Amino acid sequence: MTAETVIRVADAGIRFRRNRRGRRSFKDLFAGSKRRSRPNEFWALRNVSVEVRAGEAIGVVGRNGQGKSTLLKLVAGVMLPDEGAVEVHGGVAPLIEITGGFVDDLTVRENLYLTAGLHGMPKREIDERYDEIIDFAELRDFVGTPYKHLSSGMKVRLAFSVISRLEEPILLVDEVLAVGDKAFRDKCYARIDQLLAGGRTLFFVSHNERDLKRFCTRGLYLDKGALVLDGPIGDVLDAYNRDYGAGITSTIVD
Amino acid sequence: MTTAPPPRPARTPAQVYRQSLWLLTSRDLKVRYATSFLGYLWSVLDPLVMAIIYWFVFTQVVDRTIGYEPYIVFLLAGLLPWMWFNGAVGDATRAFTKDAKLVRSTRIPRTIWVNRIVLSKGIEFIAALPVIVIFAMIFGAQPTWGVLWLPVAIVLQAILTVGLGLIIAPLVVFFRDLERAVKLVLRFLFYASPIIYGLGDLPHGLDFWASFNPLAGIISLYRASFFPDQLDARAVIIAAIMSLVILAIGILVFRRMVRAVLKEV
Repeated sequence: MTAETVIRVADAGIRFRRNRRGRRSFKDLFAGSKRRSRPNEFWALRNVSVEVRAGEAIGVVGRNGQGKSTLLKLVAGVMLPDEGAVEVHGGVAPLIEITGGFVDDLTVRENLYLTAGLHGMPKREIDERYDEIIDFAELRDFVGTPYKHLSSGMKVRLAFSVISRLEEPILLVDEVLAVGDKAFRDKCYARIDQLLAGGRTLFFVSHNERDLKRFCTRGLYLDKGALVLDGPIGDVLDAYNRDYGAGITSTIVD
Repeated sequence: MTTAPPPRPARTPAQVYRQSLWLLTSRDLKVRYATSFLGYLWSVLDPLVMAIIYWFVFTQVVDRTIGYEPYIVFLLAGLLPWMWFNGAVGDATRAFTKDAKLVRSTRIPRTIWVNRIVLSKGIEFIAALPVIVIFAMIFGAQPTWGVLWLPVAIVLQAILTVGLGLIIAPLVVFFRDLERAVKLVLRFLFYASPIIYGLGDLPHGLDFWASFNPLAGIISLYRASFFPDQLDARAVIIAAIMSLVILAIGILVFRRMVRAVLKEV
């Protein structure tokens, strides 16, 4: 394949505090990043290097808490690496928060305009796609309802509907599909198939082996914050099942 | 059905910045104006009530020797900018926490979370300016050429407020106490700044130190619209330098902390 590289993760690492009480001092702020003392921190990801070409569909595999979602957040640009670099060429449509990052007090309609706008969609385009997004989410009767009064299924429907309509070349999906009912899930799958056929790049986090095999050609296996294996999805799933038994299909929801 | 992603016309970073900034700012304003019956009046009523209280105390109760005539105009010229400053710095403490979900899920330039507050409060400030004009007409205060300083005052105040916001917003994420500390400092600053009095009313010697408060120079620029004597060149120069220094510190602190903030929000 000679498609251009759209995502380049080079030696990326990010660390988090282990407990919330670990105070940062003002001294920390002005000390050089190397000299800082950080007793209670761990690396959620370290030395991860991945190159993704346009049109690839990548499944990310690993147990909970091994860095899958963090990797997606780095690619989405909502977190910044402490080490290394993450370069993304082209827009990203990230479905990484189950709630899509909507605001509780705004209505469905207001949230749609705000979120789509903040993800870079011009207002005119939102106007054009508004009906389609609402119909896909099956929320026609709820456009004036404050977001907080929606059921969790409705929230996921809205999130997927908006994000998958952003028309960005890269789509990130983080396990959210496990929440919706079957009918909606089928619709989402059809939509993802359609997007893939249209040449989008997909980054897919899931615990569901069937889904991973269905969409992805390449797999990344993350364990303890390190990239253990990067290869065809079948090999990656085999390696994962070898390490952790065949538990992958039974744990669908986090 | 769908073929390759329709290439969206590439937009410059500045366009992206503007669109996101305006989206959030207009939402702030809409929430404030559309949800309440009095809407716009609220942003006028607040400084107006305060001005009337001080006017009453200092002209009707106490035998006042501070400020200029007409005192209500003198007062409003300091109070309205103060409301902008106070509102923006106060809200900056919640810049990241208030919309945490949006901060977590979008990649817009993070300074927008601070700048949208300064901008929406600034628009409210400008919307409240007609109040001064009305009182100036009622009490016969003559506008002077000093009104040309108004844009300078607004720009300086925006620089100062953005700078402070960039320092405070990320720090509050880690030091929650700072939110209350800021409120306390703001209350102190109200009396420490020449709002109900002028810089010249201070005892000799003290006015020199007071001009290191950048608000002193900025308010003297505002007051120059009606009271050209209030223009204090020294205070203005100090205010300009201080504002730029604070902005530089703000950018530095913000850059340093933004990574950590995104993990914590």
